[in-house]
Amino acid sequence: MHIDNYNEAIMNCRFCFMCRHLSAIGNVRFTEVDTPRIRAAMLYGLRTGTNSFDDEDFVDALYRQDLSGCCVHHCVNHYDENGLALAARADVVEAGKAPAAVKKLADKFVKSIGWKAEGSGDVAWFLDDTTAADKAVVAATKKLFAAAKVSPKIITGGSIGKALKVLGYLPEAKVAAGLFAEFLAKEGVKTLLVSNPAAASALKQDYPEFGVKLPCEVKCVTGFIVQSKVKFAKSAGEVYALADDFLRNYLGCNCMEKLLAAVKAVNKPFGTNDEETYNCGEGAIVLDRLHPELVKALAEYVAARADNPKKDKIVVASAYVKKALAKYGKLNVVTLEELAASCL
Amino acid sequence: MKIKPESYMFEMIRTELTDAVGDANVDVKFADKFGHSIDYYWIPEMWHDRGKECPKADFIVHPGSTEEVAKVMKIANQYKIPVVPWGGGSGSQGGALPIYGGIILDMKRMNKFYGVDKEAYTVRCQTGIIARHLEWNCNKEGFSTMHLPASIACATIGGFLAHRGTGVLSTKYGKIEDMVMSLEVVTPTGEIIRTLPVPRHASGPDLTMLFLGSEGTLGVITEVTLKVHPQPEAREFRAYIFKDFHTAMQAGATLMRSRLGPCAMRLYDETETKTHVSKVFGINLDKGAYLVFGFDGRKDIVASQMKYAREIMEKQFKGKDLGSKGGEWWWENKYKFFYPGYMFHVPQAFGTLDTVADFSHIEKVYWAMKNVVNKEFPDARFIGHFSHWYEWGCMLYARFIFPGDKVPPDEREAAALYNAVWDKAIRAAIANGGVINEHHGVGLKLGRYVKDLYGTAMPVLEGLKKQLDPNGIMNPGKLGFAGC
Repeated sequence: MHIDNYNEAIMNCRFCFMCRHLSAIGNVRFTEVDTPRIRAAMLYGLRTGTNSFDDEDFVDALYRQDLSGCCVHHCVNHYDENGLALAARADVVEAGKAPAAVKKLADKFVKSIGWKAEGSGDVAWFLDDTTAADKAVVAATKKLFAAAKVSPKIITGGSIGKALKVLGYLPEAKVAAGLFAEFLAKEGVKTLLVSNPAAASALKQDYPEFGVKLPCEVKCVTGFIVQSKVKFAKSAGEVYALADDFLRNYLGCNCMEKLLAAVKAVNKPFGTNDEETYNCGEGAIVLDRLHPELVKALAEYVAARADNPKKDKIVVASAYVKKALAKYGKLNVVTLEELAASCL
Repeated sequence: MKIKPESYMFEMIRTELTDAVGDANVDVKFADKFGHSIDYYWIPEMWHDRGKECPKADFIVHPGSTEEVAKVMKIANQYKIPVVPWGGGSGSQGGALPIYGGIILDMKRMNKFYGVDKEAYTVRCQTGIIARHLEWNCNKEGFSTMHLPASIACATIGGFLAHRGTGVLSTKYGKIEDMVMSLEVVTPTGEIIRTLPVPRHASGPDLTMLFLGSEGTLGVITEVTLKVHPQPEAREFRAYIFKDFHTAMQAGATLMRSRLGPCAMRLYDETETKTHVSKVFGINLDKGAYLVFGFDGRKDIVASQMKYAREIMEKQFKGKDLGSKGGEWWWENKYKFFYPGYMFHVPQAFGTLDTVADFSHIEKVYWAMKNVVNKEFPDARFIGHFSHWYEWGCMLYARFIFPGDKVPPDEREAAALYNAVWDKAIRAAIANGGVINEHHGVGLKLGRYVKDLYGTAMPVLEGLKKQLDPNGIMNPGKLGFAGC
């Protein structure tokens, strides 16, 4: 089973409570089953027969996880409970026990595989569906590219494998990754810029895991703008920047902090701490489609921690988080690109 | 619970509960019940490890208000269903295990923070709030509860109140019972009561103290007002290595008797210093006993306290000074001791023989327990540290550890071996002036010793239980009270 590759997490997390306070879903559902401890204990129970994927509630709990990576980041041993959850989902799918909603969503992503490119040159911008749906973010990014004096080729299209991996459809995710790498090679892309931190994680972390070699260097748009030494005429002023699940917990990337410094933002601490996720399930990629009620609860949890929900300027790294916090949390949210573009 | 899930009565009760707390707040699914069947007690952990089913509740109920708790209690009394309050489920004594089925009252939905009173320096909150979340909220307002236990990430404030928990700064700021101003409690029969608003009075016996440590057997604590403290201007630590634990104990006791008022002190015996402290700090402390202490408050006062404490350690007891850095190692790693890899884990068999005694008896208790474990259970290792210090004595955090290959493969034999260690060690502690225990509580694990401990006072305790909980539905079989 895939979970056997995460034996360390199963054996240690099953009796450990040290990251309980960071269980985003556990903190809005008030449940034990939505904690790393109980998930690991249940997965251990597969070996002894006390638990089974035939239990739909157990499987549902696996698909409720927010996958923020906060527990891994916080743990002194960095046990990969996130990787364990993804492996468990792959085992669920292989056992033919994926919930109907998951199957339907995975089918949709498989059918979406395919991309097109507009423009020329060897620098390309991968405009994923989530980012593309936010016209303000797209416009801001284009403005930043103009300031950086680049005109990247724009690649749009379907799944590059991340969502499929997160849903447990590993073979399909690998196929998508392979096809995307081939597409980039065919297009002659040497530098690929990505807006969505989830896409950066897919390309930088999942693809090597799949054995898929990319023909190009991958950069976050924010990091690229900082490197390009774009001049900002205005200071961003006071903001509340929310640490990003992928950038902080998965990639260990500080491009967010660098861009905030470049626009002279005065970053005020949000909420009560910098350990929890305030990203409303960003790590789970499609939580908003599987469990919109949970994303709503997560956004309301975040909104309740804002100093002044109506006035505070919240800065996030992804269009996913912006949408969740604006829609359900009624917060004033911009992405890093929007903040930076407003300072040009 | 005598009513089976296939009975229509089960559905009658379930719908009565959903009427009380809302449909989304009553779980009867296997996965949810599984999640409440294991806490931090070794027996259910081992049971699960061996592939055996642990007893489960019939209903997991998440009340959102005191009134909802009261409604649940009335329903439970109507049908005589056991009710087990559950906070974070991180207790090591089996206190929150639903051993007779019934209702688990998971309190975490009651997590409201009502803010700090900046005149009285108090904070009011519901008891389902996770301690770390409460501390973060207080920190944001410039205050601290100063209640910083290893289980801060998982345990709720209600759990600490129910088990008389403690934190690493207990020597100055006290245990949780020293921090409480007043409580709101739902009695087993569903009445909502409030204890007096201040803890110092001469208006009869203190009801607050009756409910603290009652482990959910006398009622459900739903709200608390706690003392808080401004963050100190300075907090400094210093550590020493002494030639043996006896000398270190004398040094520690002298510091306490000096009334200099440290905020924390820890003393690790030679074995624990060599094996555990060295591993957590990532340094080699292969000889002697490690002692760390600290002071906090105004910078100039802390400097003065530290000066006199150093004289005791260095001049009187010839401790080897590890400096402030040696003390910071402990403060910075204080929670690391409890992560996997640093803490013991199944398949090992292990237990914390938490005992407290005055300075006249504490070393006798240590040796009595150590000798009995070493003599009767040669496969077990015994280590200990002294983690909470008071003017009159301290707490011994002694532990026994069997390597996994020395634990019987049969789960019943494993449980028998485990309980035998407790029987021998705890009775040795009680016989030498020790009290079980200081901050983990009694729960299921130690209930069998409560009669020994209370002696002729036991009927008084049982009488209180009978008066408050006539149907015996509140957390039956715990704290030495009858099962059902």
